[in-house]
Amino acid sequence: MISVKHLKKSFGDLEVLKDINADINQKEVVVVIGPSGSGKSTFLRCLNLIEPVTDGTVMIDGVELTDKKVDINKLRAEVGMVFQQFNLFPHKTVIENITLPIITVKKWNKTDAEQKAKDLLKKVGLLEKANAYPESLSGGQKQRVAIARALGMEPKVMLFDEPTSALDPEMVGEVLEVMKQLAEEGMTMVVVTHEMGFAKEVGDRVIFMDEGYIVEENEPNQLFDDPQHQRTKAFLSKVL
Amino acid sequence: MDFRFDIIVEYFPFFMEGMGLTILMSVVGVIMGCILGFFIALGKMSPFVFVRLPFVWYINFLRGTPLLVQLFLFHYAVLPSILGSTTPVLSVMVTLSLNSSAYVAEIFRAGLQSIDKGQAEAAHSLGMNKIQVMRHVLLPQAFKRSIPPLGNEFIVLLKDSSLGAMIAAQELLYWGRAASGQYLRVWEPYLMVALVYLVLTLSLTYLLNYMERRFDVK
Repeated sequence: MISVKHLKKSFGDLEVLKDINADINQKEVVVVIGPSGSGKSTFLRCLNLIEPVTDGTVMIDGVELTDKKVDINKLRAEVGMVFQQFNLFPHKTVIENITLPIITVKKWNKTDAEQKAKDLLKKVGLLEKANAYPESLSGGQKQRVAIARALGMEPKVMLFDEPTSALDPEMVGEVLEVMKQLAEEGMTMVVVTHEMGFAKEVGDRVIFMDEGYIVEENEPNQLFDDPQHQRTKAFLSKVL
Repeated sequence: MDFRFDIIVEYFPFFMEGMGLTILMSVVGVIMGCILGFFIALGKMSPFVFVRLPFVWYINFLRGTPLLVQLFLFHYAVLPSILGSTTPVLSVMVTLSLNSSAYVAEIFRAGLQSIDKGQAEAAHSLGMNKIQVMRHVLLPQAFKRSIPPLGNEFIVLLKDSSLGAMIAAQELLYWGRAASGQYLRVWEPYLMVALVYLVLTLSLTYLLNYMERRFDVK
């Protein structure tokens, strides 16, 4: 599904990703963990080219993202992304947030788009908020709308960039619940998170990153119970 | 002190005529300033230096030189050489439009750049292209944020149109000067002119406050 080879990313002189190689299979849920500054968010953002890559290749479904001939907008429509800060459009209602890309990018008519949006809102349990503006929602509700908005494009992969980090503790659960449901439905997911419980329960594989490298990757139980590298051990001892 | 209301009464029709022209020139200046300013803002935000540079200097020149100097330049030099001839009103409208376009451009640019970059990222991540992101996500939010400073700019523009009197455009202040010249009185005509400007700017302020509420500016 996704194949990353020798991915490098620098911001000026600062090399954030040094040599990333990773494969993500269809229907797999990959959780990326690591200390802050390890490059995990940057890695995720390179997967839909929100962050231009410096070197290396990212293939999604056999299409090379960094190829200049590729229509990047078309590709991005197939890769959903959920942000730490939700990034809902504040001037649009909840349902308009979801229908806007369906209408402008997928070129659906308004009626179909609204039907689709309502189905998705029902799925994330927020149908009654369809006509509310984002500012009136709680953090957890905002993030569920953001997930619904991404799903509206019917993506092949969903990327989650610390989706629960900006939430009050009591709202983390409702967002993770939606993500878990998605995983059960067979969505391919890459999740950057600090929620180790989620990684254990839902993740098929955990990638531990540090200082721009993938240090270690394994099944959750293996990685958490029997880390092979010193840096993984040190990190886990701090967070678990 | 005797206050000669008869001068005001006599000149009242001219003051109203002048007010009409003041409003007309200001409205043209505002509309053209907004249209031009929008494109200048986009130009100034271009990632390419050679595209950006002319816009940067356009703004530098128009903000960095006195409006009265610009008015003289356009009225006596630029417009006559381009069009062959010009009228005072045309010169004022052109100068006000260009001058306000520079300020409006900066207002729009500040508005656009104040939008959190997560907005554009989210829109792009959904597959929207640059134009769609601009049109549906960034511009509506930037416009809303631009309303208060734009209002400020419009009030300044309205008052600055009085410089037109310097090239004999027959706007409000022109008639004040005419009345003053005819009767050799200073209080009555200029107080009257000031009062009319005050009524105009207060009405505009009221209108802008209404718009801010309408668009729910925070």
